[in-house]
Amino acid sequence: MRTYVRMMVACALIPRFELVVAAGGLEALAGRAVAIAPEGGRGSGALGEVSGAAQAFGVRSGMALGEALARCPQLELLAADPIAVAAAWEATLRTLEGIGAGVEPQRPGLVCFTLDGLRRLHGGSDELVLAAARRALDRPARLAAAPTRFCALAAALATRPRRTLIVRESARAHLMGLPVALLRSRERTAPLVATLERLGIATLGELAALGRSSLADRFGAAGVEAHRLACGEDDPPRSRRVEVALSESLELPEATGGEALERALAVLIDRLLARPERRGRTLRAATLAARLTDGGSWSREVTFREALAQRERMHLVLAARLGALPAPASVLTLTAERFGAPAGQQEALLEQADRHRRARLREAVAQMRSAAGPDAALRVHCLQLDSRVPERRVMLTPFES
Amino acid sequence: MSGTRRLALPRAARVRAAPGGQPLEVDGQTVAHVRESWLIEDRWWTEQPLRRRYWEIVSEQGRDLVVFHDLADGHWFRQR
Repeated sequence: MRTYVRMMVACALIPRFELVVAAGGLEALAGRAVAIAPEGGRGSGALGEVSGAAQAFGVRSGMALGEALARCPQLELLAADPIAVAAAWEATLRTLEGIGAGVEPQRPGLVCFTLDGLRRLHGGSDELVLAAARRALDRPARLAAAPTRFCALAAALATRPRRTLIVRESARAHLMGLPVALLRSRERTAPLVATLERLGIATLGELAALGRSSLADRFGAAGVEAHRLACGEDDPPRSRRVEVALSESLELPEATGGEALERALAVLIDRLLARPERRGRTLRAATLAARLTDGGSWSREVTFREALAQRERMHLVLAARLGALPAPASVLTLTAERFGAPAGQQEALLEQADRHRRARLREAVAQMRSAAGPDAALRVHCLQLDSRVPERRVMLTPFES
Repeated sequence: MSGTRRLALPRAARVRAAPGGQPLEVDGQTVAHVRESWLIEDRWWTEQPLRRRYWEIVSEQGRDLVVFHDLADGHWFRQR
């Protein structure tokens, strides 16, 4: 007799990951009302993650700075440090991959992975796998396992730090009594939450009881997605592809800006393209990061319109991002995030045919001109086709293919 | 490059016309039929106004020709 094991998805949630990294450790946050400063200046924008002490004053992530300071005058602001966060998050993911987990990172501090295939490695039960994950993480984390990613996240949010929750019942049954606010965890369904709450739909069970077609009528694809999640349906986690990080950094001796910064960027692009590990592959996405002179760091991921390996085009795209630097940079870093096919340029099949045809035409025109003189190939150029005077309608011009 | 030029430029023509202006013979070809006639007055606001009486005719050889009489200088031209 065969035994079928239902798929279980684990979710690890490390609260305030970015804030802890920016503060230099969990101990530095103890008892302090601290928040990540709004990006691009101290006077405007929304706060990043906030500490528990700040939350006690009513300060929330995403709150306007003025309102936060009115609620908590002693609030300390920390500069965001995306470079350090990315490094710490990568190290965390690698420790999880070290126990055999195929991780799907959602954002720094939140990761999912399936338990299938790990049970035999770690003693045969879900509890033992999660215990191994907790040992690997080596920091306070909320761990949960459930039949779907969404349900696992809901369980992780409900469990206490250092505790583990495993949902044995069906995902739909577990989610039934939970608030629709959980839909904020997905970018697609987040805008629906306020409307659903206004309509009096408070729980996922009430949402699941509605017809999917009705939700599709009212909210489109986002409504269908929300209904799927509420009914316990979700896509399985997709493990990330582990690739060798390709990164180049340049220290800027003085506070540099403008042209000098662009020249530094050009050097980084040259170095990155010259790396043998690239093996001729094109770049599909890259991250431009900078360590700032006044503390903290800045980073932007740039996805190119098409995979490319041309210095000029990369520079054109990346240099435009340098304008968003909030302060002078002391170190500039360029990292290849994703690679494309190992070819110089990606072209569509039809465009290739068109280009080929143009090249042949150009060659034919050149041969004609060499044999019959420069007037051998001319183009009829329309000037005023509707003119009453015939000689004003069209003229002959040299053919330029 | 020397290839740039206008198309359908007027060429001088030898035309024998009736007192009313209707062409009877164009470059030695007898006119068999007048298909259409029209007047163009353009650029009258400049110092080089354009006043032409066009005639579309069919010669006895069966050729379709377009000629015009420049009303400013009195010359005849073929344009097709």
